[in-house]
Amino acid sequence: MEEKVLTKNFGVKNSHRIDVYLERGGYQAVQKALQMDPDKILEEVKAANLRGRGGAGFPAGVKLGFVPKEVEKPKYLCANADEGEPGTFKDRYIMTHDPHLLIEGMIIISYCVGIHKAYVYIRGEYEHIAQQLEKALSEAYDKNYLGQNILNSGFDLDVFIHRGAGAYICGEETGLLESLEGKRGYPRLKPPFPAAIGLFQCPTVINNVETLSNIPQVILKGAQWFVNKGLPKDGGTRIFSVSGMVEKPGVYECPVGTSLKDIIYEYAGGLKEGKKLKAVIPGGLSAPILKPDEIDVPMDFDSLMEAGSMLGSASVMVIDQEKPILDVLRVISDFYSHESCGQCTPCRIGNSWINKIIHRLYREKGKKEDLDKIIRLASNMKGKTLCPLGDAAALPILSLTQKFREELETYTES
Amino acid sequence: MKLTINGKQIEVEGPKTLLEAARENDISIPSLCDHPRLSPFSGCRLCLVKIKGRKGYMPSCSTYAEEGMEVQTQSPQLKKLRKQIMEFILSEHPNACLICREKENCDEYKSTLRKVGEVTGCVLCPNNGRCELQDVVEELNIKRVSFPSQYRELEVKKRDPFFDQNYNLCILCGRCVRVCHEVRGNSVLTFSYRGTKTVVGTVLDLPHTETGCQFCGACVDVCPTGALTERELKYEGLPQRMEPAICGLCSMGCELQINLREGRLLNSLPSDQGVVNQGQACVKGRFTLKDILYSQERLLRPMIRRNKHLEEVDWDEALDYVAEGLGQYKGEKVALFSSTQLGCEDGYISQKFAQEALKTGNIGTPAVFFPVQSLKRLAQNHGFELDLNFRMDQISEAKTVFLVGTDVPLTHPIIWLELLKALQKGARFIYLSPNEFEINRHADQWIQNKPGTESYVLNFLSRLILQGSSTSQDISEREGFHTFKNSLENFPLEKAPSITGVSEKQLKEAAEILGGKSPKAILFGGAFSQVRWRNQNLSALWNLSLLTQAGLYPLDLDSNSRGMEVIHGRSFDLGQSFNRIVQNLSSGKIKALYQMGPVPLPQKIKTNFRVFQDSFLNAQREQADALLPASTFLEREGIFVNAEGRVQKTSPVLPPMGDSRPDWWILSQLAQRMGVSGFKYKKTSQVRKELGENIPELNSASSSRLKEKEVFLKEEKKGPKKFLPVQLKETPAKPTREYPYLMMVEGSQDYYRNFHLSEKIKGFRMIRDVHWLYISPQDAEKLELKENQPVKVESTKGKMSRKVKISTSVLSGTVKTSFNWDEPSDSLINFDSSLFPAIQVVPVRIKRGE
Repeated sequence: MEEKVLTKNFGVKNSHRIDVYLERGGYQAVQKALQMDPDKILEEVKAANLRGRGGAGFPAGVKLGFVPKEVEKPKYLCANADEGEPGTFKDRYIMTHDPHLLIEGMIIISYCVGIHKAYVYIRGEYEHIAQQLEKALSEAYDKNYLGQNILNSGFDLDVFIHRGAGAYICGEETGLLESLEGKRGYPRLKPPFPAAIGLFQCPTVINNVETLSNIPQVILKGAQWFVNKGLPKDGGTRIFSVSGMVEKPGVYECPVGTSLKDIIYEYAGGLKEGKKLKAVIPGGLSAPILKPDEIDVPMDFDSLMEAGSMLGSASVMVIDQEKPILDVLRVISDFYSHESCGQCTPCRIGNSWINKIIHRLYREKGKKEDLDKIIRLASNMKGKTLCPLGDAAALPILSLTQKFREELETYTES
Repeated sequence: MKLTINGKQIEVEGPKTLLEAARENDISIPSLCDHPRLSPFSGCRLCLVKIKGRKGYMPSCSTYAEEGMEVQTQSPQLKKLRKQIMEFILSEHPNACLICREKENCDEYKSTLRKVGEVTGCVLCPNNGRCELQDVVEELNIKRVSFPSQYRELEVKKRDPFFDQNYNLCILCGRCVRVCHEVRGNSVLTFSYRGTKTVVGTVLDLPHTETGCQFCGACVDVCPTGALTERELKYEGLPQRMEPAICGLCSMGCELQINLREGRLLNSLPSDQGVVNQGQACVKGRFTLKDILYSQERLLRPMIRRNKHLEEVDWDEALDYVAEGLGQYKGEKVALFSSTQLGCEDGYISQKFAQEALKTGNIGTPAVFFPVQSLKRLAQNHGFELDLNFRMDQISEAKTVFLVGTDVPLTHPIIWLELLKALQKGARFIYLSPNEFEINRHADQWIQNKPGTESYVLNFLSRLILQGSSTSQDISEREGFHTFKNSLENFPLEKAPSITGVSEKQLKEAAEILGGKSPKAILFGGAFSQVRWRNQNLSALWNLSLLTQAGLYPLDLDSNSRGMEVIHGRSFDLGQSFNRIVQNLSSGKIKALYQMGPVPLPQKIKTNFRVFQDSFLNAQREQADALLPASTFLEREGIFVNAEGRVQKTSPVLPPMGDSRPDWWILSQLAQRMGVSGFKYKKTSQVRKELGENIPELNSASSSRLKEKEVFLKEEKKGPKKFLPVQLKETPAKPTREYPYLMMVEGSQDYYRNFHLSEKIKGFRMIRDVHWLYISPQDAEKLELKENQPVKVESTKGKMSRKVKISTSVLSGTVKTSFNWDEPSDSLINFDSSLFPAIQVVPVRIKRGE
């Protein structure tokens, strides 16, 4: 097994407590960072090629660079802890086992950009984690890692926790901002991007929890070390959430670029009870599905893109031969038609019709053109909706209906 | 910048979306959620276009044009895509008629419009012919929909006045939500639920009446389908004719588009061409004109009293009768009440009639002590003149706004829209009032003062501002500055809380805001100038405005109060004149009364001869010797001056109903029959010409420049302004043990002549009833009062009946009510020693009625 970085404190007794965290080398990165020139931090993050762990994989350093330097308005940081992508549970582990790692990352980024107010937008279902985060925050305040004049550096930062109310769309960064402002979680039109006009119309950095949690080690060990851990254009390790019909479902920290096959068969112990692999969803529910002959693929953004899927939130969902593919299709469609925010027509109505057709396939023999209709509907969502949710729904549905057409045709008239 | 659309090079200016750029160049791109006055939403996705060098498709409604962009709005793919999107939309909207092959053959009346809640096809839809869905179906040439239509089975809501809400027809374009939030600042409508269950509605699905909705109708106007429809219009068909008219119901002077069919008014919409209102209106202009015009109580024939009974007669007989009757009372024995809702021509003739036919100076209107009159009078008394004209858009440019005592969205809805624009640009906003306004959530500060202590608050503020920073030279060198400054010594800050109820801290914060960014605007309305202690209020405000170098905006009230002010106000003080007439009526010195609008008069007054010239019958007809039917503002031409001082001409959209005639016609006919010369007018334009020659402020009244809608009352070049001495003649009324509540009473603004909207229109009564007694929840509980319960309000001098309206907008210990202008004034007047009853602060007690 590789050296653990992000998950090194997982399983250590009371790892969520600040004294344990400090004992194990915590907050050293903050101490180092606060002595650094903010521009140097930015350079380091850029050089680390740390790509966003939320799903889109946008280079974190580049994103930070978009924030205007000299502005009258305050700037904000939002940690996106709305982990809503089905199959994804890595942030939850970080926040449960190592909340101070996230806080440390937030402090460094805030210092780097000149932010004095940061928010953690945490999904509503994570109530207990939110409570734990609150405790961690107060510990950090007590030890002056937060608050006024942090460690006598003259830098101030306050962190607030905001709980979501259970909408997938609020994980989309602009939907998150709307929700954080107290409004209905509708995605905003881009441009302007949040880096320029974000929370309360001010420049805002939004990063996934795992992305932020990577920052301390980038600072402590340097960009080069980080890149070496992963791939040149996609540095570091990732926490893979593995679920489905595997022997050992759970979170696994592996270097970026580890093969999907290894993750399933080495780390997660292969399929349960000798079942046979039918398909894998490699990067959260919105990622196009892979067939068994496609799983020998390195798990990084570019390789998976080439393989016709996406790394997304690095959530591997393993489906065995016995599972009817229609069930998978239905679960996907149920989710997206329920979570579509309703703002734009193709996503709102397209998802609803796809869902209706799929449910009809359970009730009665489908019509011959049903599969083509689903494909046509999904194609009309892909790239035509207001926010990425439409794509997220269209991609897996398209890949499923195309790759498993034969099996699905057994549900329709020939 | 230059860009190409469909290979054609076009040039556009300034930040502009591709959709705007295309439309400017007659390139059609279908769209349903876009609206020129609203922010982009990009929800419908019909306007997607292809831009060279960019991935996928971009919504043209929210993509801004850039130099050198190459845009394709038409292609087989785009056409297919749009058709599919439209099919999506139609799958949730009844579409049988839209794609019916018989569509063209389907006559207008093939199907009977019926009173059902459900709409299953266009022929049953109240919006048939006004529906943008129909246009897009036509444009995209959609012949079939590959999905069955899904009826959403939502309840059709008819619980609110004026419009129905059938969200089964809604396509979620969000225009209503945006207009309510962005343009009206009201945020009553929102989306709720998500995905396919998404629906537009109010918070907790409450009726609009309980959500602070002002029923301005903006949501109905922007709705592209029949989801929000004006109830009165539902069974009426399409207009055949559309005419512009200036609304006569308040001082905004909005331009309306009057829709007519078969010679009848169908409805009225805010005109998009309206310079003043820019496509917006309020509940009065939008929803009440039909009720006013076609009221059952319209006075349609002249009536005279014979053998104790009123009889309908023709004009000849009526005019002879009245001319003879009036002939016996000249000079001091007769009085004429004009109205500030009449056009300038009518105002001019009524003045001339009083002077030359009745030979009296007893001419008045109840609309006295309006902001402009009062301020002008105050300035004149101190020997300087004022610029009173303004442009509404000046308010939208303000960075600091101070609003004094008027709930501006209700009293001056269009001013509020301008104020909102300023707030959206980041202006600081404070208001001063004992009552909480609906717009409180937009305010940086609400200074909640004890009723009647406004002038004290203002003086405390002035003092704080003077203390706070060094005064610039042009202020300190102004005449009267030192006297003013010294007199402020009498306002030690520590006394502020006990006198005004406002904390020192709040006053300091407010003073800091008022000392902030310019341009500044100070707005005040009738509630501030119509009190007996108006001069002490106005001086305090005037000084504050000079001190802060803020623009002072007096917001006048009636549709032509500014016009009437220059016509009548030239020769005398309207307020004094009104009070003198009332006194002389009560003492019996005046024996004949000619009345052209509602006037609050003591019930006991007796006259020998009383004429009502009005558009409606009302309770006072029992006292009439003659009733002469005047036409309404929609049935004649005339010029009106709005709150800005803008002179606007309105043309008749309908012929006078019945035998009704313009007021100037009736008066000049009478004058002729009374043997007075100089009243031979054939047309309104003749009167207007003479008026322009006699009233210098209105010398442009008959100019062709009126068409440009940019003519203002003429103002002389004014001399330097000066600070006024602080006056404190009045101490505010205080509650007593026996009369423990402080009641604020003000005159209703919801009327047209003697037609009182809340009395006659049920829907209007649901929104605001003149006879509501606003009382705080705490006081209501203490007195065990329930909503709508009748109560008796008693003061030391009189009593009145009211209905309970429990509201958090009033402070505990205070109550608020209003009155109709023709309510017998005895009780009202006796509430206070002042004759003029418009606004009072009176200690009262409240007793439960039956």
